[in-house]
Amino acid sequence: MATKGSNSIHRSSSRPLLDLSKAEIQGNVEEKYPTILLPNQSDDLSHLALDIGGSLIKLVYFSRHEDQSTNDKRMKILKDKLGILNGNRRSYPILGGRLHFVKFETNKINECLEFIYSKKLHCGGWESHHSDSTNDQNAVIKATGGGAFKFADLFKERLGISLDKEDEMDCLVAGANFLLKAIRHEAYTHMEGQKEFIQIDPNDLFPYLLVNIGSGVSMIKVDGNGKFERVSGTNVGGGTYWGLGRLLTNCSSFDELLELSQKGDNRTTDMLVGDIYGTDYPKIGLSASTIASSFGKATLENKELEEYRPEDISLSLLRMISYNIGQISYLNALRFGLKRIFFGGFFIRGHAYTMDAISFAVHFWSKGTAQAMFLRHEGFLGALGAFMSYEKHGLDDLMVHQFVERFPMGAPYTGGKIHGPPLRNLNEKISWMEKFLQKGTEITAPVPMTPPGTTGLGGFEVPLSKGSTLRSDASALNVGVLHLIPTLEVFPLLVDPKMYEPNTVDLSDHSELEYWLTILSEHLPDLVDKAVASEGGTDDSKRRGDAFARAFSAHLARLMEEPAAYGKLGLANLLEMREECLREFQFVDAYRSIKQRENEASLAVLHDLLMELDSLDEETRLLTLIEGVLAANIFDWGSRACVDLYHKGTIIEIYRMSRNKMQRPWRVDDFDAFKERMLGSGDKKPLPHGRALLFVDNSGADIVLGMLPLARELLRRGTEVVLVGNSLPALNDVTAMELPDIVAEAAKHCDILRRAAESGGLLVDAMTNTLDGSKEKLPSVALMVVENGCGSPCIDFRQVSSELAAAAKDADLIILEGMGRSLHTNLYAQFKCDALKLAMVKNQRLAEKLVQGNIYDCVCKYEPAY
Amino acid sequence: MDPRRAETGKNSDQIQSGHVYHLALDIGGSLAKLVYFTKNDEHIVGSEKKKSPMKASGISNSSRNSPVLNGRLNFKKFETSKINDCLEFINSMKLHLGGVYKIVMIAMVMNAGCQQPESPGSQTITIKATGGGAYKYADLFKEKFRISLDKEDEMDCLVAGANFLLETIHQEAFTYMGNQKQFVWIDKNDLYPYLLVNIGSGVGMIKVEGDGKFERVSGTSIGGGTFWGLGKLLTKCKSFDELLDLSYRGNNRAVDMLVGDIYGGMDYSKIGLSSTTIASSFGRAISENKERDDYKPEDIARSLLRMISNNIGQISYLTALRFGLKRIFFGGFFIRRHPFTMDTLSVAVNFWSKGEAKAMFLQHEGFLGAVGAFMSSDKHGLKELLANQKVERPPSKLSFSLDQTQVPQQDGELNGDESIECSVYGA
Repeated sequence: MATKGSNSIHRSSSRPLLDLSKAEIQGNVEEKYPTILLPNQSDDLSHLALDIGGSLIKLVYFSRHEDQSTNDKRMKILKDKLGILNGNRRSYPILGGRLHFVKFETNKINECLEFIYSKKLHCGGWESHHSDSTNDQNAVIKATGGGAFKFADLFKERLGISLDKEDEMDCLVAGANFLLKAIRHEAYTHMEGQKEFIQIDPNDLFPYLLVNIGSGVSMIKVDGNGKFERVSGTNVGGGTYWGLGRLLTNCSSFDELLELSQKGDNRTTDMLVGDIYGTDYPKIGLSASTIASSFGKATLENKELEEYRPEDISLSLLRMISYNIGQISYLNALRFGLKRIFFGGFFIRGHAYTMDAISFAVHFWSKGTAQAMFLRHEGFLGALGAFMSYEKHGLDDLMVHQFVERFPMGAPYTGGKIHGPPLRNLNEKISWMEKFLQKGTEITAPVPMTPPGTTGLGGFEVPLSKGSTLRSDASALNVGVLHLIPTLEVFPLLVDPKMYEPNTVDLSDHSELEYWLTILSEHLPDLVDKAVASEGGTDDSKRRGDAFARAFSAHLARLMEEPAAYGKLGLANLLEMREECLREFQFVDAYRSIKQRENEASLAVLHDLLMELDSLDEETRLLTLIEGVLAANIFDWGSRACVDLYHKGTIIEIYRMSRNKMQRPWRVDDFDAFKERMLGSGDKKPLPHGRALLFVDNSGADIVLGMLPLARELLRRGTEVVLVGNSLPALNDVTAMELPDIVAEAAKHCDILRRAAESGGLLVDAMTNTLDGSKEKLPSVALMVVENGCGSPCIDFRQVSSELAAAAKDADLIILEGMGRSLHTNLYAQFKCDALKLAMVKNQRLAEKLVQGNIYDCVCKYEPAY
Repeated sequence: MDPRRAETGKNSDQIQSGHVYHLALDIGGSLAKLVYFTKNDEHIVGSEKKKSPMKASGISNSSRNSPVLNGRLNFKKFETSKINDCLEFINSMKLHLGGVYKIVMIAMVMNAGCQQPESPGSQTITIKATGGGAYKYADLFKEKFRISLDKEDEMDCLVAGANFLLETIHQEAFTYMGNQKQFVWIDKNDLYPYLLVNIGSGVGMIKVEGDGKFERVSGTSIGGGTFWGLGKLLTKCKSFDELLDLSYRGNNRAVDMLVGDIYGGMDYSKIGLSSTTIASSFGRAISENKERDDYKPEDIARSLLRMISNNIGQISYLTALRFGLKRIFFGGFFIRRHPFTMDTLSVAVNFWSKGEAKAMFLQHEGFLGAVGAFMSSDKHGLKELLANQKVERPPSKLSFSLDQTQVPQQDGELNGDESIECSVYGA
């Protein structure tokens, strides 16, 4: 299975980007997704494919980042314990590869050529590749679209690459299949201005009807990968709209015509049912406003063309053509028994009215039984398909849970709109952000409205530009960068992964969205301060802090304007976006110093706490432990209310105060049920759990005084404990990387923890002792640490690290702690094992909404295995 | 002013036995269509000899003795925008009604002044009418000529008209492909179900399963009104007919993007499209830096016509397929027996059905509604008029025997005026 050396005969010429010499599969070949090691390949290697259309050039390219593997002893022991096959597992999941989507206008093809050149997309790893002369042979890039012929010479001349033309329809279908299978919430419906994202079950995708609206319209029945047939079409398409529109108005561009339609009123040109009957025609279900005859009104009046408003004509044309396409599409879907219809092609361009009109037609003619669906990446179907036509890119087999879409600054421009220069590095990005702010309103898409300031720039307003200049693509959806993370898996303990929805708070409710956007916005200055401080407050960090604040404000502004801009949005996504945005501006860990300080302070009093606990009887102890977890959960830098509290007292003071206020019953109080499971009633002693997964939340008191003592109790009862921490920092959440040190420190105060940690491989230095002199002591159940695969304060159980998935296999208890993981997400999640959800509600609105309570109320939700 | 009517009035309880004068109207968005029955003078003489004649003034003469009315079913069109012409025409007919030997009947029952027979000035005539204009112009008719329009449902009329024509008239249906017109013999007993596509300003598609049994199952707003409306805006044409004329001389290649334009003159055989297939109607109007005036109106008209016909043909076929209907009849004023229109519709149906379905047309395609409205007078009097006839006929139907059809000289004839020689039997 090891890949052969490079420059082999047949298709290698079409894949010049990977140097496959000395390639070998690393690790166990039985592994699900073995990593192919390409030692002769430069780190930033890329694939590129093009779709050169009449008006736009679309690029899809893949960049892959080799990561440093951390194969330390600890990981090895952990893997043995969890039964993970030894492979090149990544310690950081946010690596792997990235799929980028970029657009250029065809008449500005030079920009495109420059972009390719500057990113070295045309030569991939060639520059680091010094071997034989076969280098000189032309690279071949997959391309589709009419321009693949037209510009072939230009590409050859300027970049020395040959374009290998792929069939358009093949590409279209391959692209659509890939997107619908691999991208969560790729498809959406659009009715009366409302977008709703639809999750398609990849196993229940086929057959479907793909309607591609270009100049003409093709209707393709898709039965599977590479299995499709053009079953119908119509000559009344985008070309008709633009052609007739040009003849009837003085518009000089398609977009201008489309924009005109926004202000149109088709009643002046169309003959409506009301015009004929003076009223509805209810007998056949036609309302007075139904169009009886497109442009029919023009027959009744002796008006010259010039007497009609071009806006009205444009709208009338748009409705005529959209309705017609919707109708014929529905009839064809019906004919071939296809339950889903997806619309794509340049005619749509994310234009809200066009989508509404098509949706209306499908809804109308199907009497509500069918829905028109659209694709977020619809402009990139062809380019993506061309990309897929490369052999062995390995993307075919990837599943939806292995993709994470990110929206770095610049992506909204290059992916969504065509703006800005290619950004090569962070410095360019920051400069561009600075310029971008000055130009402000001139640039479409996100517009940060706050004035330039120093560190701590915050605030958030809706862009003023809306309304006055309605863009034809006002509702255009952003296309982010797709991160491909092959190691992500679906959490195996979910009862029904298909029905699982992580988000508790649905931001499609506008007031909800507004509330949370405001919260994030208000929190921004403080976050920037922390972030800058975490890097020593250098000038560079201040500059990056400003850029981050601008970028994140822009994201928020964009979301306020178009809530669906980034796909289906839950609170978890919003919080994660903030973390991603921080990382984008290279703030690795904004709360680093705070976390350290709090950990130290908490560890200092841990010993006393453990003594106190050990003096209690079993039942009281359990209650005290749970109280402790809830009380310690107050230390949350993500909560504004708590941040205010910190200024009023020391950590320990707050913790004690918090614990004293723990009055049962809590707002949600299943403690008795949990106690029953743990301790039983009467003489019946239940079997202890075999393995518990503890999803930990914040650093400091939360982990040290709350969760560790609980873990210790479980260990004492013979339950193996796996602490599940974040893979990447998010707020003051404790990460999987930090946990071993905290445990090691805590183990100094506690024998139970020490032995369990040794057994779990957390105390590497002590390992030799254990291995050599273990005979004298009973082997303890293990305390282990795994990363969860994410870098967000929340957790999406559809995408967790393979380590966590492996650890979950033998687990029969999971404990989710903190607002992010047990309230914002997963409050309603159902698991195949016992689950305890513990959190203190540190937000008034959330408390009212979720538990009909108040701020600082507690949730102790216990659910036996489903 | 009209003595005959006055006389009729006296006879009002007996539904104008002698002179039930039929005229029916179908006032559409663009055209107003009239159907009326005139008694043929010569034939009157003839029938009077043969059978119990129907006297022109036959007030007291019972029509029960006259089983046959020989005469002429006349068809006439007006542009709706010139509704006054239509009114004048009807008004002039009224004058004729007073004439001694000319019996005008059909399509409308004139309840001449039932209430106030003695004061002709206040008489109100009721005419069967259908089409949207029957509502819209009701006041106008009333004000100007004291004609009250008795509104019949448009679709009822359409279907009744089509059913009647297809069942009764021998050479009513025909196919038209490549300049070949071929009459299709329709077995009366195997007529239903069929799809009736009525192309007026908009297009209605009706599934017909029998007399009075039908449902509007589909339609499209891209119809005759679109052709004429867009055509008017894009060319300087003054009338629908002029636009049609133009289209006949045009070449759509100048404005349409053909499959060959995209694939460099080659067919895209992979998906079965020939190079001359239209890939995008008006799609070429985008790629060239030409203004509207640089295009020939003929070409624009042609392209429009093909776009619309093609589209209607396609949706019709898909709809027929959906409901399992084997026959598709196209009617409505858009067609006007214009060969190119029919050809395009036929080609579209042929193309999309891969030859399995054929488009059929009706000789009287523009008058379905009017004929239907005419037939509807059945309910209100004609039936009674002929109720006691001994001739064995389905009781609820008028029967026509077609003696002779005056087919217009050529198919391309745009003038809708024509007539059918016929006899009316009692039910």
